[in-house]
Amino acid sequence: MASRPTVSIIGKDGAPSGATHTIPAVFASPIRPDIVKQVHTGMAKNKRQPYAVSEKAGHQTSAESWGTGRAVARIPRVSGSGTHRAGQAAFGNMCRSGRMFAPTKIWRKWHVKVNQGQKRYATCSALAASASAPLLLARGHQVMTIPEVPLVVDSALVEGSSVARTSAALALLNAVGAGAELEKVKGSKKLRAGKGKLRGRRHRQRRGPLVVYNPEVDGKELVKGFRNIPGVETSPVSALNLLQLAPGGHLGRFVIWTSAAFKALDEIYGTTTTASTHKKDFLLPSNVVSQADLTRLINSSEIQSSLNAPKGDAVTRRSAVQKKNPLRNKQVLLRLNPYAKVFSQEAQKKQA
Amino acid sequence: MAATLPNISSDLIWEVVRSNNSYLHKTGARSNGGIQLSRDPLNLTNKHSRKYAGFVNDKAVGIVANEKGGVVVISKKAAAAAQPAKSVAKTTIGGGKSTRKTYKAVASQVAKTGYRADLRAAAVERVSAIRRSQLPVKADPEPKLRGKKAKAAAAGES
Repeated sequence: MASRPTVSIIGKDGAPSGATHTIPAVFASPIRPDIVKQVHTGMAKNKRQPYAVSEKAGHQTSAESWGTGRAVARIPRVSGSGTHRAGQAAFGNMCRSGRMFAPTKIWRKWHVKVNQGQKRYATCSALAASASAPLLLARGHQVMTIPEVPLVVDSALVEGSSVARTSAALALLNAVGAGAELEKVKGSKKLRAGKGKLRGRRHRQRRGPLVVYNPEVDGKELVKGFRNIPGVETSPVSALNLLQLAPGGHLGRFVIWTSAAFKALDEIYGTTTTASTHKKDFLLPSNVVSQADLTRLINSSEIQSSLNAPKGDAVTRRSAVQKKNPLRNKQVLLRLNPYAKVFSQEAQKKQA
Repeated sequence: MAATLPNISSDLIWEVVRSNNSYLHKTGARSNGGIQLSRDPLNLTNKHSRKYAGFVNDKAVGIVANEKGGVVVISKKAAAAAQPAKSVAKTTIGGGKSTRKTYKAVASQVAKTGYRADLRAAAVERVSAIRRSQLPVKADPEPKLRGKKAKAAAAGES
């Protein structure tokens, strides 16, 4: 790609600082929801912990079948007498206090290996999608108040301990127009449906902006400032994660970059021709179609010059759409047989 | 951002978001025939379709009711697509203007300057619907009494 557009860097109070930066090449990666979706489903499974029912559950009884001839089902029955349990069916998945069908095992295949190339492709794709305002809106982010997409904030505003406090971090987010987004997240906190409530997943809420910083320049103190704001996540630019860049496998996470992190992207991801310095043997994926805009393609001089000229006028009369019967329709008869006029005139004379 | 990157276009975005997006409202197949509606403010018909999907298209028109009567026409600026805060222009057409003049103003704004001629009819229809909803509500007529109640009322009068 010859020339890449520039992104203005937002300074104090949400106004552009005047400085700009060329958009890193990773933002020109192909948008591939299919790859992102598939990689996300795989990666989302890799933090699971094994669970299973007890090996002994439903089998802690010495039940045996009574066999045929007792006018009851042949299911194993608890032996003995003296308690109500005696004579009740046991073991089967259909029985009260029986074991479940196909008891879950801890050796289920919990994790999924995802190829590194695919993971990198998906990350690049998710990054590229985060630079498209329509895709952010489609994910539900309230971004109509932010000055620019991608949103790059001057690193001078976050360096050292300037946003180490939540109030400072909140003020920064409000200044760059992310206030509506934070409000949305705050109002979205709901009690989770189902048993997840009892298993450490009591609430569910929307995801807010992802703040990406460069730990080498910005330091790590900003993490403490942002971590208590609902929905806001932080990530170092060197360790971007698809689960954060495309939550739920949906493209278009609202990302707020620090200018240092934004500048580091070209070094970390390289371009389509120069290899990345951080990732071994990695070149950015290229687009199959270099121009994705269909209208522009169709209207391009290359296409238009090789097209045939349109046939006919803007409004062309279509002949012989319906066959007319010359024996009934006089005009069609005359067209076929001009001499018919004479016949009809003579016939009229005879009548007169 | 002066120009947009060549890897994204509205055609591509539509393919990505057409099955699921935050504006899309799908009704159940049994309840309403499974129609797909859109909550997008830049959608003139509230239908989920490529043509009316305002957040997808570079140029789009939305019409919403003005609080003090009349309508507000929202249109997207194609040049400021990457600057959401600046990307929409709002024009207010007050309720004092006659509906015909409002239609005329909206139709010219939408179509005349080569903006989105295909949205002219939809825009006028939406203005019409909004203006109709802003008409003062007539009070219900007094119910005519019948039968016993009518007799009682007549007796009470005399």
